[in-house]
Amino acid sequence: MTRSTQLAMEPPAPPADAPEEEGVQAAPSASGRNRHLAAMAESFLYALAGMALLLVLWWLGGRLVESNPRMFAFADFAPGPTFARLFEMLGSGEAAEMTAPSLYRVGFGLAWAVAVGVPMGILIGWFGPVGKLTNIPFQFLRMISPLSWMPIAVMAFTTWDGAIVFLIGIAAVWPVLFSTAAGLKRVDPSWFKVARNLGARPWHMLFTIILPAISQDILTGVRLALGVAWIVLVPAEYLGVTSGLGYSINDARDTLEYDRLAATVVIIGIIGFGLDFLCQRAIARLSWHRED
Amino acid sequence: MKGAHIKATGISHTYRRGATKALDGIDLEIQPGEAIALIGRSGCGKSTLLHILSGLSQASEGTVYVDGALVTGPSPSRVMMFQAPSLYPWMTVEQNVAVGLKFNGRMREAKTRVPEMLELVELGSYAKRNVQDLSGGQQQRVALARSLVLNPQILFLDEPLSALDAFTRHALQRDIRRIAAEMGITLVLVTHDINEAVMMADRALVMKANPGRFSAEVAIPIEGDRAPSSHEFAIAKAALVEAYEGAAGLTMAETAAPDRLTSATDPAPARVRAIK
Ligand SMILES: Nc1ncnc2c1ncn2[C@@H]1O[C@H](COP(=O)(O)OP(=O)(O)OP(=O)(O)O)[C@@H](O)[C@H]1O
Ligand SMILES: [Mg+2]
Repeated sequence: MTRSTQLAMEPPAPPADAPEEEGVQAAPSASGRNRHLAAMAESFLYALAGMALLLVLWWLGGRLVESNPRMFAFADFAPGPTFARLFEMLGSGEAAEMTAPSLYRVGFGLAWAVAVGVPMGILIGWFGPVGKLTNIPFQFLRMISPLSWMPIAVMAFTTWDGAIVFLIGIAAVWPVLFSTAAGLKRVDPSWFKVARNLGARPWHMLFTIILPAISQDILTGVRLALGVAWIVLVPAEYLGVTSGLGYSINDARDTLEYDRLAATVVIIGIIGFGLDFLCQRAIARLSWHRED
Repeated sequence: MKGAHIKATGISHTYRRGATKALDGIDLEIQPGEAIALIGRSGCGKSTLLHILSGLSQASEGTVYVDGALVTGPSPSRVMMFQAPSLYPWMTVEQNVAVGLKFNGRMREAKTRVPEMLELVELGSYAKRNVQDLSGGQQQRVALARSLVLNPQILFLDEPLSALDAFTRHALQRDIRRIAAEMGITLVLVTHDINEAVMMADRALVMKANPGRFSAEVAIPIEGDRAPSSHEFAIAKAALVEAYEGAAGLTMAETAAPDRLTSATDPAPARVRAIK
């Protein structure tokens, strides 16, 4: 429609009592809820089948290793011995004992990453020149493998724990920082204009508008960061420390306890998956974005 | 009457990335409580002028005085509404309405003031709803309540109704005019809908582009409720169409002088005053 025809158009005369827009949200119907349940059951079945497939492959691998005389020593990697050892470790508290220090290190590393990444990301997203100034240096630093800071970290920190937390932090800071900055750049500028017009002070702008507006981007960054941190954790724990999941893997290898090694790998997978799941749920709960 | 008086002199504006002047030597005076429509084709500088009058932007040249005080920045006493409601989707309806009170340290008033505003825009029962569950018209009503909560003296409207269907738009046009009159608010409305200008304004200023200037002024002296079917409405509209065509240099097919107007001793030209 061209502008001139739009101008010439006469709106139909409204009835004496102009219609009021009615509530738009219809209650979800029973059939809709059933369809939702069916979809959930289906995806659960797929997940179950996928995990079963993984187990079968593992078991087949175990059988192959067992039947090969040159690899017979590694037979404990098979699911049977692994799960037997895993339940033993869970029962004796050994599993919890080696997980706690790792969770503590990842927790602190992530906390540092958020404490540095979120404010820095907001500065970058808010002040154009800061973004332009830091863009290339940060892209450069981001591409350096976090583990290559290891010698420096070991020298710079008096404790092994400190060095590991630093390595995790430096690995996890980038997803948080970039996600925060990108989220802020995507925010509808008219939200800021309205706030400015209504007399918002800088702290109102930050806490009432910016942070809620980009909360989902921050959490998505944290979720990515958690994934990276969990990956960096194990190699970081290979050195120095005498606790944690990475150390346990190394230790099991040295003592040739392959069932313990495999059980530790399973624990790492389960906890990583669990943490990521929690993150995902937190995002879904805190999000104000509508799916439809 | 508590609406504010606006006086702008010699307003010119060139955008940093703009090749030509978006506005060139605009002079404008608006009386307290008056309702003004700025009308003109796309790109003639209506939004630019509105931003400058509200203080959200600074003009390259010229000054704006509101009630004798120089405008140097935005103020909660001069509130702008946009085409999009721009509500905060993480807040409920009442939180959105109260946000101005929060920014000005007046949350204590929220308990009485917010329900009052929601009644005013006829959304009393929607206080706890998330704004994303509302229709476009309802959202624009919430934006209106949010704009009014601080008792502004001037309301600037930048085509806030253009995305709505005809019925909803008409209801809001009437309601905004009524509320502004009741609260004594000065209304400055940007639109390219001639019906909307006749519906809401006491006076329309027609703008032309390149550079943005006023080309004509049309008085719309209709008392009381305005019905598009009334004779007065048709006369005012014809006058505005003529002024608009003059500014835009085009003819609008179906609005050109309907027969019933010729009987009215042709009063339209008398109301149009060419500027410069
Ligand atoms: N940020 C900007 N940078 C450069 N030029 C701009 C900018 N904003 C607007 N302009 C130009 O200034 C002129 C006036 O723009 P403005 O937005 O005020 O028009 P308008 O009358 O509100 O149009 P519309 O009816 O489409 O909203 C236009 O020619 C436009 O191209
Ligand atoms: Mg505009």
